[in-house]
Amino acid sequence: MDIRVKQIKPEEKELVAIYCHEVNDEVVEIVDFVKSRQGTVGATSDGRRYEIAVTDVFYIEAIDNRTFLYCKNHTYECRQKLYELEEVLSNKSFIRISKSVLVNLMKIQSISPALNGRFLATLKNGEEIIISRKYVPDLKNRLKKH
Amino acid sequence: MSFKEYLKSEISSFFIVVTLVNIATFVLGSIFQPDARFGYDAFLSPLVFGVLSMIPTLITYCSHELSMKQMLVRKILQFFCLEVILIFACFGRKVFEPEYRPTVIAFAVSVLIIDLLVHMICWFLDKKTADQLTHDLQSYQDSVE
Repeated sequence: MDIRVKQIKPEEKELVAIYCHEVNDEVVEIVDFVKSRQGTVGATSDGRRYEIAVTDVFYIEAIDNRTFLYCKNHTYECRQKLYELEEVLSNKSFIRISKSVLVNLMKIQSISPALNGRFLATLKNGEEIIISRKYVPDLKNRLKKH
Repeated sequence: MSFKEYLKSEISSFFIVVTLVNIATFVLGSIFQPDARFGYDAFLSPLVFGVLSMIPTLITYCSHELSMKQMLVRKILQFFCLEVILIFACFGRKVFEPEYRPTVIAFAVSVLIIDLLVHMICWFLDKKTADQLTHDLQSYQDSVE
């Protein structure tokens, strides 16, 4: 596999592209590595420990003092508290949308009105989560700042 | 959401209700009592109805986030409480007298229409916000990707 590194201007977006004949284990491994360089969160599932790439997490929810990471098809439990993750992940496209949920803005497909001034975020995996009206101004500001 | 934040968020609904009660009073009054004359105290009645209409909204208050189903059930309960409170506030015991039945029914229907209109107006405003958020979100995702 040839490797090319091209230096670009600061205003251009950095990009890692892989041109391959098929997406095999090797390619998946490289993708996972690149993702892991963008940050990971330690979590467990079925007694096994994993390092979950932050970019794979759709949303994080705190339920009864336990914290869960929701990825596309899998849920992991994390030892860190929601507020700790909020601090760590606030510069990685995560924002709090209700008392118990942090969402990855990159994983939201669309936003629609829900009952009582709340909003419904439809994620790219089809799941729907409630955006509490208390957190709507923060969301607006975060999106406008960009 | 704290109770104080909840009350703040209900203020817009209160003013929408007051405006719609004014319109309903005009329409129902023109139909049932076109020759009636009022004093200045009549200006207070839409505000009083507005405040009374806010009481059943307490049903939808919850310190934790309710699911869509839970909220829908509470909204239906809220509507029935609203009807009972407003009908009794307006008619008192007369509600059981047969000659008042058409007026009570018209009043109940007008409460239903106002409630639906309040929800429609709020939904329309929220839809605008949601569309803007979706648009901003797409710009955000394009700029980050």
